[in-house]
Amino acid sequence: MSLNDTLKNLRENGIDEAKRAERLQELNDLRVNLLGKKGPITKALRGMKDVPAEERPEIGTLANNVKNDIQAAIEEKMSELNDKLVAKKLEDEKIDVTLPATKQVQGTRHILNQTIEDIEQFFIGLGYEVAPGYEVEEDHYNFERLNIPKNHPARDMQDTFYLSDELLMRTQTSAQEGRDMEEHDFSNGPLKMISPGVVYRRDDDDATHSHQFHQIEGLVVDKNISMADLKGTLDALCRHVFGENREIRFRPSYFPFTEPSVEVDVSCFNCGGEGCRICKYTGWIEVLGAGLTHPNVLKMSGIDPQVYSGMAFGLGPERFAMLKYGVNDIRDFYLNDVRFLEQFKGVN
Amino acid sequence: MKISVNWLKEYIPVTHTVEEMADKVSLTGIESGPVNLGEELTNLVVGHITSITPHPDSDHLKVCQVDVGEDTDIQIVCGAPNVAEGQYVIVALHGAHLPDGIKIKRGKLRGQESNGMICGLDEVGVPAKYMPKEFENGIYVFDEPQTPGAEVYDLLGLKDKMVDMDITPNRADTLGMRGAAWEIGATYDEKPTFKQPELDNSKISDSQDVTAEVTEKELVPDYLLRELKGIKVGKSPLWMQRRLWNQNIRPVNSVVDAANYVMIEYGQPIQAYDLDKLQTKAITVKLAHNGDKLDLADETKVLDKNDLVIAAGDQILGLAGVMNGSVAAVDENTTNVLLEAGVFDGASVRKAAQRHDLRGDDSNRFEKGVDNGIVDEALVRATQLVDQFTEAKEISNVITGNFTKAEPTVIKGDFSHINHLMGLNLSNDEITKILKRLGFEVAAAGDALTVTIPTRRWDMSIEADVVEEVNRIYGYENLPNTLPAGMETRGGYSKKREFSNKLRNILLGAGLDEVINFSLLSKQDVEDFNTIQTEYTKLLHPMTEDHEYLRNSLIPGLVRNVAYNQARKNNDIGIFEQARIFDRPTDQDRPNEVEYISGAVSGNVVADSWNTEAQQADFYYVKGLVEEMLAFTNSDAEFTFVATDEYDNLHPGQTAKVLANGQVIGFIGKLHPNYQKAHAVAETFVFELNIDLLFGLNKKNVKAQSAPKYPSISRDLAILVEKDVENGQLVADIFANGGKYLRDVNIFDVYQGKNLKPNHKSLGYHLEFLNPNDTLTDEEVEKAFTLVKDSLVQKFNVEIR
Ligand SMILES: [Zn+2]
Repeated sequence: MSLNDTLKNLRENGIDEAKRAERLQELNDLRVNLLGKKGPITKALRGMKDVPAEERPEIGTLANNVKNDIQAAIEEKMSELNDKLVAKKLEDEKIDVTLPATKQVQGTRHILNQTIEDIEQFFIGLGYEVAPGYEVEEDHYNFERLNIPKNHPARDMQDTFYLSDELLMRTQTSAQEGRDMEEHDFSNGPLKMISPGVVYRRDDDDATHSHQFHQIEGLVVDKNISMADLKGTLDALCRHVFGENREIRFRPSYFPFTEPSVEVDVSCFNCGGEGCRICKYTGWIEVLGAGLTHPNVLKMSGIDPQVYSGMAFGLGPERFAMLKYGVNDIRDFYLNDVRFLEQFKGVN
Repeated sequence: MKISVNWLKEYIPVTHTVEEMADKVSLTGIESGPVNLGEELTNLVVGHITSITPHPDSDHLKVCQVDVGEDTDIQIVCGAPNVAEGQYVIVALHGAHLPDGIKIKRGKLRGQESNGMICGLDEVGVPAKYMPKEFENGIYVFDEPQTPGAEVYDLLGLKDKMVDMDITPNRADTLGMRGAAWEIGATYDEKPTFKQPELDNSKISDSQDVTAEVTEKELVPDYLLRELKGIKVGKSPLWMQRRLWNQNIRPVNSVVDAANYVMIEYGQPIQAYDLDKLQTKAITVKLAHNGDKLDLADETKVLDKNDLVIAAGDQILGLAGVMNGSVAAVDENTTNVLLEAGVFDGASVRKAAQRHDLRGDDSNRFEKGVDNGIVDEALVRATQLVDQFTEAKEISNVITGNFTKAEPTVIKGDFSHINHLMGLNLSNDEITKILKRLGFEVAAAGDALTVTIPTRRWDMSIEADVVEEVNRIYGYENLPNTLPAGMETRGGYSKKREFSNKLRNILLGAGLDEVINFSLLSKQDVEDFNTIQTEYTKLLHPMTEDHEYLRNSLIPGLVRNVAYNQARKNNDIGIFEQARIFDRPTDQDRPNEVEYISGAVSGNVVADSWNTEAQQADFYYVKGLVEEMLAFTNSDAEFTFVATDEYDNLHPGQTAKVLANGQVIGFIGKLHPNYQKAHAVAETFVFELNIDLLFGLNKKNVKAQSAPKYPSISRDLAILVEKDVENGQLVADIFANGGKYLRDVNIFDVYQGKNLKPNHKSLGYHLEFLNPNDTLTDEEVEKAFTLVKDSLVQKFNVEIR
């Protein structure tokens, strides 16, 4: 058999063997056996010396092609076997994705704090500072500085826990107003603050009353503060909290430390104003009290009401949360049943 | 106060429904709601009883023939004791609807046909406590003949329509019909008209029996009296009675009713005394003596020297502005009467009414204020009505105990400033027009504005009040929405709040839920966890024993939460609270308010599941939470944990104080088994950290360093040591002797028990050495490791294994 034929035979047999291989090891062996230094191709090429010189390049090329073809056949088969192996492995590793997860539990912020922080973030965006006050406050700041002297009938509206003649558990976060106005340096620009925190009233605890609850007081004092500013600010707040399509309305009211004073209603987010159980069929829900800072309050803090004006508002996070999430009993906020707490995961 | 539309029509035209009016008044002035009395009532007519015969089969029933305006009388069986022939009564015909869903049907009563029902006032909607006493146990009988068959609703005010105004304390000017007419009138741009009361001058006499003296003039700016003599007390006319009972006032007699009526009409309380029952004719308004007694119809009040009283000599007639005693009450036999119109100090009245638990229509008005400008007119009106009803022979002039001339309030302001505060740009004319609608006088001079306020609006005193009036009548709905347009400000949280938020986030990330508890605790609670050793702070007048003291720890609240949850089978609990506790130094009245963050963990921290094994909460889990918070304080302080058995309600062997540079900043511990049992909680681990102290620590000055380029070398160390030697002591010693390249020491094994020397434990440590600037040699490491071992042997008598 000519060298030519021998090489062609080797090629045919080699490719054939590669195709028949069933395991990677066989292919590795085949490569070593056929293409290695001791393999038949190398051996056959030793007969090159008997080939006429002019035919040698042709045989050389043929030999290379034979090697490459066998190599290619082995690699092709290898990749085929590899694919099969991977496919089997994947099949073996298949899991039931509907089995429950390994728990990665994050705690839930208390819904009142979520409500408060949502409102805080809104006002921080408008340039307000968050300034909590004291929970134990002087009669002076809680009442007198808010234009509520001793014997004022408004003191009946909020029964107070006193610690002594002069000290009390604050009944309203407005108690912070006097302190903030005193401390503020108006040469640095307007005073814009909100004061969130806990307040206390001598109330029996029931579904709608709690002797402890939260309030957020807001106060802006500057040269040009108007009722329209108050309305625009609270309108934006109510849209932020209750939804973009809400409207607000003002109704005249009375607080000793604001003049004019208003109650603020938001259009019912449940029925959109048509009237339903939540809005008591009025289409409106009372959500907060507000007004322009009473000139006496400004004066007591050394601010000239002819030059400056202020707006103030106070809102109740419990009420906001009760309305927004349909909580029917204020006591739920303070019982801290984790099933109650955890339903508010990520609402704000 | 409920404003009857029929009454209101005497002053202003009314064309709207009460629903519309209530809405409009709510938006421009005073929160109001519509009241429609007796909407359900039907088929109620006047009946005339033409004859009565006894019921053949009953002792108490009577068979009445009643003219109800039809061709023939109808027969009605009636059981009322006061039914009699000739009476004009209320008849509910067959098919009539009464309150509470009651329907009247023709039928038989013990065999006798009955074609309806003769009704009492309470059966047609007048509350029993407001109807005349004489009809309490029977049917209502008209005083005057009425037209049989005519509807009774208007006669008795049964279907009155009213606007119920829920006033704020500053708007007591509307606690009278006339004030309410001004307010509603301003809303609809209708100016009310009132009739001036007049007396029959021919009866006025210059003589008078009584004298009036006011000793506390500053508490009683006005005190006016009038005598009426030779009167005949009877019943007041029906039109007045129906107005009174619809105001929740029981008609009594013509004098008392007239006085009450004037209070509703003018907002000015009026009192009446039987002149002949007075001990002396010298009336004084003065402070009581301790122990003076005021006799009321059903009880006796003991007075003290703070009580302002009306007295005739030693006889106490009444508590001024609050309530009159029964001693000089006007009754049907009264022939000479004394009428009183006074103004009494609000605070004094408020306190007296509270002290004696006697708040009522009078005190409600004096507390909030009355119109000083109409005291004399109201007295004239009361006198006129009494005279009209009782045909007095003689009327005295005004007897004055004190009189203060009421002056209108003058408020000065600027049109521009008023617009400014509203955020509007109304013309001067428009503002003037609005103020005139309210019945104010306005004088304008350029931008300057002078508003003269009648005495009936004593709530108005400054320009801001004018702003409110203009704005509300103009309509808040017409205000634009703007934002404050001043200089930009930088908003945000305080640094401390940001710091505490960071700590909260760590606990949330670890899966703890946030709770909020009450700050007011029981005495037991504050005694249980007084780890900060503070003086307690107590409320003067607590509501309950559960909420009597200001909390000095957040732990009692958290334990209550764990108990509440575990009682509801929420057994695995991890919760925390970030709030204030109250720390009061001995020499201070006011407690310091200190921010704390505290938590409680009970049950499993990793649940038992198909692919995980349950892991129970323990001391070290909680310590891990605390350490991570401490790491996030970014503080350069040295934090240490020191075992303590000082806290009564924590486990003496599983509690540590947490220290920063030697100062206690909190603790970690397991609840004492006795405390757990008493509070019905499973094994619970708690911690408490003082945020204020943590926040005050020096911050680390972090300078970035590249990750080490050279490899580390490690050594493992196994030792046997006495059980009571703490890991912390050993690690500190290892670091002390490990040289400057000792970078980390980790304990990987703790073993106590079998196969060990008694009272010993075996510990395994992994030491890691690293030179950040060069390759460490084994020789260097071996040298340091030997020093470590030698020291441990020497100091702690350990056995190297
Ligand atoms: Zn609704």
